[in-house]
Amino acid sequence: MLSVLLKKQMTEIFRSYFYDAKKNRSRSKAGTAAYLIFFVCIMVGLLGGMFTTLSLAICGAFMAAGMDWLYFAIMGLLSVLLGVFGSVFNTYSSLYLSKDNDLLLSMPIPVNVIITSRLLTVYLMGLMYSLVVILPAVIVYWATAPVSVSVIFGGLLIIFLISVFVLTLSCALGWVVAKISLKLKNKSFITVVISLAFIGGYYFFYFKAQTLIEDLLMNAAVYGDKIKGSAYPLYLFGKVGAGDAFAMLIVSLAILALFALMWALISRSFLKIATSSGHTAKKVYKETAVKQKSIAAALLAKEFGRFTSSPNYMLNCGLGILMLPIAGVMLLWQGGAVISALNEIFGTRAGCAPVLLCGAVCLLASMNDMAAPSVSLEGKSLWLMQSLPITPWQVLRAKLSVQLILTGIPVLFCTVCLAFIYPYTPLELLLTVLVPMLYALLSALFGLFLGLKMPNLNWTNEITPIKQSACVTIALFSGFGYTALMCAGFMLLNGWRLGFVGYMSIFGAVTLALCALLYLWIKKRGSSLFAQL
Amino acid sequence: MLKIEHLTKAYGEKKAVDDLSLHINPGEIYGFIGHNGAGKTTTLKAVAGILQFDKGEILIGGKSVCTSPLDCKRDIAYIPDNPDLYDYMSGIKYLNFIADVFGVSAADRKERIRKYSELFELTADLAQPIAAYSHGMKQKLAIIAAWLHSPKLIIMDEPFVGLDPKASHLLKGMMREVCDEGGAIFFSTHVLEVAEKLCDKVAIIKGGRLVRSGTMEEVKGDDSLEEVFLELEEEVC
Repeated sequence: MLSVLLKKQMTEIFRSYFYDAKKNRSRSKAGTAAYLIFFVCIMVGLLGGMFTTLSLAICGAFMAAGMDWLYFAIMGLLSVLLGVFGSVFNTYSSLYLSKDNDLLLSMPIPVNVIITSRLLTVYLMGLMYSLVVILPAVIVYWATAPVSVSVIFGGLLIIFLISVFVLTLSCALGWVVAKISLKLKNKSFITVVISLAFIGGYYFFYFKAQTLIEDLLMNAAVYGDKIKGSAYPLYLFGKVGAGDAFAMLIVSLAILALFALMWALISRSFLKIATSSGHTAKKVYKETAVKQKSIAAALLAKEFGRFTSSPNYMLNCGLGILMLPIAGVMLLWQGGAVISALNEIFGTRAGCAPVLLCGAVCLLASMNDMAAPSVSLEGKSLWLMQSLPITPWQVLRAKLSVQLILTGIPVLFCTVCLAFIYPYTPLELLLTVLVPMLYALLSALFGLFLGLKMPNLNWTNEITPIKQSACVTIALFSGFGYTALMCAGFMLLNGWRLGFVGYMSIFGAVTLALCALLYLWIKKRGSSLFAQL
Repeated sequence: MLKIEHLTKAYGEKKAVDDLSLHINPGEIYGFIGHNGAGKTTTLKAVAGILQFDKGEILIGGKSVCTSPLDCKRDIAYIPDNPDLYDYMSGIKYLNFIADVFGVSAADRKERIRKYSELFELTADLAQPIAAYSHGMKQKLAIIAAWLHSPKLIIMDEPFVGLDPKASHLLKGMMREVCDEGGAIFFSTHVLEVAEKLCDKVAIIKGGRLVRSGTMEEVKGDDSLEEVFLELEEEVC
């Protein structure tokens, strides 16, 4: 029974890799392989590469100080943090809100088996994110330290224990969100607020991490003693990776006990939460005056309604809405120090600082990718858009507009803040505003292009198109790639010879050309594809 | 009102609808019956402009679904077999959205929403999110939405599924009302007793091909529609 459900769950998670929804048939083996390789390259190449570099930088120093455990404690904590960050936002919906809940509960399947299959999704998501940190850390350690059986076993065990701990934490947080959701009216809003608080904590730790690690490296012995004294579990946790048998036993028992607690919590409340429709009072309809809207306004309101109705959608595809204004305010507050630091590092090459600032704005803007899953999110309601007297282009334009409005306004705010802290000439200022705005347009168009090329309308949980689809992953990482290209082109590929104005003019022109190409494609071919979905 | 000429639609090698021709005049309730997978939904979706077809022509009020899709869609309403509506909207928001798309004035929509939601006893639930609706409530909402812009032709796929007896009775009355005012109804059903009592004309489809059509009397003669349907199924087999 369990294997059947696990297979179903796996099929759902990895469906887009094996099945071409557009052609309504299985992908070829080559197509599947290419998809998987692409995904692995992104995870291993980008994220894994980043943490491999970090591991290489600190492993040797900690080993030399005889503090191997501190190395594993730091990397382990980072791994847990990234793992929970990666999976916590979809835990609630993955566990409790699947559309096949009623179907499975009506079948002769033990509830615990259903819970296990649901946990698999959360586990895989957490594992994927935690692995990109801890796997390179363990491999680097194996390559640096004298290898023994206990070290290898310790490395493998810490990877496993971290994944279980991440699952436990994510599920506990998911349970809290579920309990709150059942009691409150504005569930989406509350879920977003809680999640944002978590994100705030994450970023606070993230930005402090480098300073903390540097400080730890400098004073490893002092901090080591302090941690041993006041945070003994953390010490034991680190010792697991170094292959200490006692630590392996204690930490394994502790994490498995926590997991058992979480299991008891989830299994006791699963049925009640999964089948509950909420205890909030019924909202009674009162007739009010309504204004007739144009088709464009009605479609735009529909798309905004879709976006704001789902915490998953807002958190996974709209973080830029929040990050851009925060960055703008931070620049107004600490901008002088940022400019000084940039000038100090890149002072020899004029234009580096404004290019990097532009790149930073684009990077934050790339956190908005709500257009990418918007086509798939039509799901089984697609018949409405196809049967109403509206053109596919009107539908697609509304989807584009949502991302343009929600990204364009914060980008504009952030670039205006830049104008206050950097002594731009009028032309430089124009380009500083224009290029990120053009990027906002490009990313919306590219996201929609991907959404049309890789639609998945047969999902049972909205997390599938929002977070687990190839188009969203590609859209997100393409944004990072664009920013990297902008900065690297200027600093490494002789772009600096053109100066800021020359380089950004060319970069803006190329962006505009790409926008024009994508716009024309979506308007003609994309509209036709949408009509045929 | 509706002319379907030599409609053919294939999914890969398999022809879901094969050379189907039907004419529906104003004032007619036209029933469409056939076993599961016979091609009813494919035909209805093609008429509604959702599905592109391989051969043939569909004309609504003399306008082609292929060349003037928007003009055709403005004159029709479609209700699918499973009312998958926008779960994230409330009932009233959904109705206003549909009214906006069809350009129904504020005064007209107010009157119609009030009238039909009271008929279907859905008024109190209009502020609730559609996600909280039962299947029957969603079906009622889909019906109200379909009637909002006073369409000339209403296409319905199994419209009685999920409706309580009172709502079914109301719907039958509303269908007759549309036809009395010069509109037309084209709907599929597996409930042959309903088709027999309600329809002016009926078409039986088997394996994508039309096996019999005409007025109820022409199709069933002195037998019941059920007997004719089962007989035809066996004959074709």
